[in-house]
Amino acid sequence: MADLSTQNPTGLAQRVATALLRAGGGATACLQMPPLAGDASNAGQIGLDAPGFLSLPLAPAVFRKARVAMQDGQLPKYELLISADAVAAQVTQLNLSSAQTLFSMAAGIAVAGKLFLIEAVSTSESQGQAYLYRLQLQEACGEWPI
Amino acid sequence: MQNAKDTFYITLRSRLATVNPARVMTLRSVSRPGILVADAEPPMPQPILDAFSLSWTGLEADLQLPAILVQMTCEIQYSTAGTVLNAGLDRGRTLEEMDYEILKLLYPYSAQKMNYAQNPAVAMDTMVFWSEPQFGPAVTLRDRLSRSVRVTVFAFQEQGEL
Repeated sequence: MADLSTQNPTGLAQRVATALLRAGGGATACLQMPPLAGDASNAGQIGLDAPGFLSLPLAPAVFRKARVAMQDGQLPKYELLISADAVAAQVTQLNLSSAQTLFSMAAGIAVAGKLFLIEAVSTSESQGQAYLYRLQLQEACGEWPI
Repeated sequence: MQNAKDTFYITLRSRLATVNPARVMTLRSVSRPGILVADAEPPMPQPILDAFSLSWTGLEADLQLPAILVQMTCEIQYSTAGTVLNAGLDRGRTLEEMDYEILKLLYPYSAQKMNYAQNPAVAMDTMVFWSEPQFGPAVTLRDRLSRSVRVTVFAFQEQGEL
């Protein structure tokens, strides 16, 4: 049976999450996004042209190591917690349908000058509205200029 | 060798645009035929559904001929979860459709080798040719069906070619 009780979203959870993330480190992460006008040439699809990724800042965020490398050759994994307000602002600015689209378009995410690959995205919600995004990251091997 | 790889990909991409113009994907802000070279795109945690992904794996060279003949193995991977309209219950049919498209994309089994590092692309002196496809088994992962096809691509290494 549907829950028909009245719930008025006040944005409290979003503000609390943003304040906690700011107090807990307040880092800035930069999504590596493809340019709005993509490279449709042959050279752009066979690795000849530089992709020209744009850096899209998301803040406040908290970055932490999620798991130590247990096996030889296994890269360490990290977690990034991002304020849903910051994500929503970029989704609106880029006219995207959802935050999931934003993350799926990204080629990676840079934190403190280091590039990470996005492995999974999960969302925490209150009253049906996201207040926090948790990204599971893996360190990229290449030393890209960021 | 890179020219042969580039020629193979762009030949298949051009044929796909004719064989099934509806098979398109949007990748890096560009809407294009649903085929990509995996090592020329950002790493992806999940494969793009309903698109062909080319990976270059094996490499052998025959040095006993006047020009070096290289044999490169190309693995073409594709996955589908069916269509939304049929709630994914048509994923077997969708995979079969992609199997048939692969057969059509690969025939004829040759193309003029091109140098795409120059703009406009320049035709080279030899051809790139390839074997008939070897289809691997369909692999089921939850609601996703995948298959890998192996093709051996042959090309002569021309004078001064990288």
